[in-house]
Amino acid sequence: MPYLSLLIFVPVLAALIALVIPTRYTRAFPWLTLAATVLQLFIFIAMATHFNPADGLQLSEKKSWISVSLSNWGHLQADYFVAVDGLSFPLVGLSVVIMLIATISSWSVSKSRKGYFILLLILNAAIIGSFCALDFLLFYVFFEFMLLPMFFLIGIWGGPKREYASIKFFLYTLLGSIFILIVMVGLYLSVQPPESSNQVHTFNVLHMQNQENFIPGSVLDATGSGTWRLWAFAILFIGFAIKLPAVPFHTWLPDAHVEAPTAISVILAALLLKIGGYGILRFVYPVFPDGAVYFSDWVAGIGVVSIIYGALNALASKDLKRLIAYSSVSHMGFVLLGIASATTEGIAGAVYQMVSHGIISAMLFLIAGVLYDRTNDRLIENYSGLALPMKHYTAFVLIAFFASLGLPGFSGFIGEVLIFFGAFQSHTLNNLVPFWMPLVATLGLLLGAGYYLWTIQRMFFGPFAIKTMHTELNDLTPREYSMLLPLAILAFLFGILPQLLLNYINPFAENFIGLWFSLGLNANP
Amino acid sequence: MSESNTLYLLIATLLIPVASAGIAFVVKEKYGWLIPVVSSLLLLSAAVIILFPLLADGQQTETYATTWLSIGTTSVQVGILSSPVTRLMAAVVLVVSTMVHIFSIGYVVHEKNTDRYFGFLGVFTFAMLGLVYSSNLLVTFCFWELVGFCSYRLIAHKQYKPAASRAATKAFLITKAGDVAFLIGLLLLWIQTGTLELPTLTTGATASTLAGICIFIGVVGKSAQFPLFNWLPDAMQGPTPVSALIHAATMVAAGIFVLVQLAPVFTPETLWLITGVGVTSALMAAVGAWLATDIKKILAYSTISQLGFMLMALGLGEISGAFAHLLHHAFFKAGLFLSAGAIIHSLHQATHHQPDFDVQDIRNLGGLRKQMPLTFAGFAVCAAALAGIPATTGYLSKEMILTTVHQQNLWWLEFAVWVIVFATPLYIFRLLWFTFLKPAAHTLHIQEAPWVMRIPVLVLAAGSVTFLVYKGQLQSFATQMLQLQISVPAWIMVGSVVVTSMALLVGWLRRNARIRQREFIIQNFLDEWNAQLILLTTFVARLANVFDRKWIDGSIHALAYSKVALAHMVGWADKNIVDGTVSGITHITRGLGGVARSVVNGKIQSYLLWAIAGLLIFIIWMLY
Repeated sequence: MPYLSLLIFVPVLAALIALVIPTRYTRAFPWLTLAATVLQLFIFIAMATHFNPADGLQLSEKKSWISVSLSNWGHLQADYFVAVDGLSFPLVGLSVVIMLIATISSWSVSKSRKGYFILLLILNAAIIGSFCALDFLLFYVFFEFMLLPMFFLIGIWGGPKREYASIKFFLYTLLGSIFILIVMVGLYLSVQPPESSNQVHTFNVLHMQNQENFIPGSVLDATGSGTWRLWAFAILFIGFAIKLPAVPFHTWLPDAHVEAPTAISVILAALLLKIGGYGILRFVYPVFPDGAVYFSDWVAGIGVVSIIYGALNALASKDLKRLIAYSSVSHMGFVLLGIASATTEGIAGAVYQMVSHGIISAMLFLIAGVLYDRTNDRLIENYSGLALPMKHYTAFVLIAFFASLGLPGFSGFIGEVLIFFGAFQSHTLNNLVPFWMPLVATLGLLLGAGYYLWTIQRMFFGPFAIKTMHTELNDLTPREYSMLLPLAILAFLFGILPQLLLNYINPFAENFIGLWFSLGLNANP
Repeated sequence: MSESNTLYLLIATLLIPVASAGIAFVVKEKYGWLIPVVSSLLLLSAAVIILFPLLADGQQTETYATTWLSIGTTSVQVGILSSPVTRLMAAVVLVVSTMVHIFSIGYVVHEKNTDRYFGFLGVFTFAMLGLVYSSNLLVTFCFWELVGFCSYRLIAHKQYKPAASRAATKAFLITKAGDVAFLIGLLLLWIQTGTLELPTLTTGATASTLAGICIFIGVVGKSAQFPLFNWLPDAMQGPTPVSALIHAATMVAAGIFVLVQLAPVFTPETLWLITGVGVTSALMAAVGAWLATDIKKILAYSTISQLGFMLMALGLGEISGAFAHLLHHAFFKAGLFLSAGAIIHSLHQATHHQPDFDVQDIRNLGGLRKQMPLTFAGFAVCAAALAGIPATTGYLSKEMILTTVHQQNLWWLEFAVWVIVFATPLYIFRLLWFTFLKPAAHTLHIQEAPWVMRIPVLVLAAGSVTFLVYKGQLQSFATQMLQLQISVPAWIMVGSVVVTSMALLVGWLRRNARIRQREFIIQNFLDEWNAQLILLTTFVARLANVFDRKWIDGSIHALAYSKVALAHMVGWADKNIVDGTVSGITHITRGLGGVARSVVNGKIQSYLLWAIAGLLIFIIWMLY
């Protein structure tokens, strides 16, 4: 069964169906989208039974996609090449779950539903496609297809400052994708498939990861002087770091989050940011291991700065959603720190942190949405004692906040511990991350506890009062329950049984590090 | 007892509190009255169950473990370490927790939110047992954090009270600061020795001084030692039974318990630091207890002082003495707190929660001996154990520690310890005098607390009394279980009795002196310092926020504007200079300017086309 193609094209098909349904049947669109996402969930479960983590890349489908003969300039060849391994499999699973929850969350959208749900379906396909594509051009197309729906979803269905936020989001990511484009073309020109004759190039990422496939004398030749390769590493890294987002390329995130409707915030935080981390692990590091070694303290440093700077900004935020957005910057900084350590634990921790952050940040944004739906106000200072009228809501807030600040028993802790283990170990093992960096990063844990506890104290404890209005506040509705509960269970499950996820991630991480050792790049004490 | 039976029984003791919590959270509000009774019965059954392995297994040590997390060459086992130390500690945790549960039946009878109260008590008991049993330090750390979370939630039980929620936040943040250091220490230890399995670590591994100190900072936070102690007096905002369980008997002692197991791994430098911090805290908190007037705060400072005393002993290598004192302390301090809870409860009943009458201020109390005779009896026995009067458990462990201190031949240490021995009876006698013995300052009609609140106090008091064993030696439940041979020089025995008597005499002579409201400077200083630190952090945070908006966003905006300006300039040049000269080129330029403008202004529909065109041009250019 072509599971991956099914996963990618079920939403496309649903979007086509939605296109022909007349606009006046407004109730059809959410149900159609829900049906598509539920179907995807079943496809994913079926796929999981055929997935063996030890096998590396599998369930692959490869078909010739673009094949243009350019006479004496050679032959332009790009494939529809999709497959999953221990890195992408958990992220695909996360995407399927989050898209399902985002669909449920979108039920309250009333403005031009047809357009909204069609864009949501396209976004769905593009995200899963990005995680599966192993042909760089294919990845790039999926990557671009993610941006446009996102731009419209924020720009049309967003809050008061939506136009500013959406254009900012677009320009930033546009810059990122141009960077990726430049390096992609450079790579295309420098790599040829192992068995082929001259003048045939490839977009195949697996070929790019093998240093022997680089054409001698080409721009990014692995055996050459290497300056261009370092540039290429830096540019490609920045391209994905914008997506992650890492400081100082992060300012699109708070604005986009604050203005986006709840479901879009959820997708943005839980999935789109992961493309950044995924890209670094799939493209940047394996293709340019030399650059990764050369820039390791920069990567780790950007990670540490993101952790601290993001946390400080969260602490100073007055808007609940802005606070959560900055906390995302802080938590994704851990991913960079883990990757920079280039240890098995650090890499696995980074992947774990991405999945965990996907689950927990989705919860956090849903929580902000629950309140905003009721009061149209997200300013922290306007609330006090919400625990009194909204007992169940407060319980989920506590779960999400404490899971996010790394309380053991929830998934965030496992990711952070593994990352710190890797980062502290790196100092003695491969000398890529200086000892003080993880040490400074631990401050982020304390700051994290600070902004969350302060928020709880101000908004949820104390005597009940809302400054701006005098309405009754209802506790969670069944629909809100159905979104928050599965996420809470997942965060808990991955917190107490880490092996559930590590069984998938471990082979990838070991393979990843093995590749490095085989290149002899780790031994530079 | 066969090994598997021990394992099953220990697992049962872990799961029963979880079941109790589950019931508390699930039961509907209508049947809320069921929760306290069922929870107490469940905990009682767990406390009975733990007695079987405790009594049957003697000195056996066994580890039952399975892989929890494995990655690369690293793996973490989740497992139960069944040793005399862990079994005894677990038994004490369960007995105290059971007593607190039973006591709470009476204490929370008129309160709302009993579900949350008993729920988190259950989770706490589970987490504390997990911390005790765990055979791997990373898993220990998980439970260590979890008890901290339960403590946070229970301090803020009356969450509508701003003071309670502030105290909870403060407690969590200060202990979290320690926990972060603890985690760093564990990771360093892990990297150095390659394992965090306790059975492996304790056979020959050594933690570097840096790792040891980091771990110890975690203990300082959790056990409320100098300089991270100032959260504990505030934590008394929580319900009194919670203070008894978490902030006196178990959680704050968790740090000592971890060190009991880890002390052999530490370097001498680390151990000296532990001794130093312990002595400092013990002396300082004794002063704090003397200056405080709130009955619960006096007991809180007393706890800090006693924990410091244990740390000092640990640092000197007197591990079994420290551990015995920890277990004894758990009983008598929980007893003292529960008595205080009974007093507060009865006075609230008598005063009908009058806001202007502070029932916790010992200057308002008095004469309770007649009105609450059984509570008085329990309190007096526990106070005697704290003061270290012969025939109590506190006396036994104190003597052991005194002996070790004397062997060090350090005059300043010896002097400091004797000051502690003198100060402890002094402040606890004053508390006893002002609450029970002194003629009452009020004319309230006070009734003895209900039986469910008196029995736990009496049980804990009974546990604080020593008994004779067949060789004519005095033993406590703890020393008997640990099979400690106590040999104390006669002069220390006599000396400590003399010093304690002198303290009591001084207390008696000064019994009528008025207590003035005095501030405890060290506490105030630390609070002030914390406040400054928070101010500084929020200042830096605001600075970061301004930087984010002004500089990072500002430069992005400047870039965007300059691009728009460039597009306009191209357009202008296009119209006025180039136009009419070479119309073909003009056309192209206008097209480019238009593209740039449309991107900046957000008309991006043409973008995809643009990107693909760019890609093709780029490829062709590069190939050429």
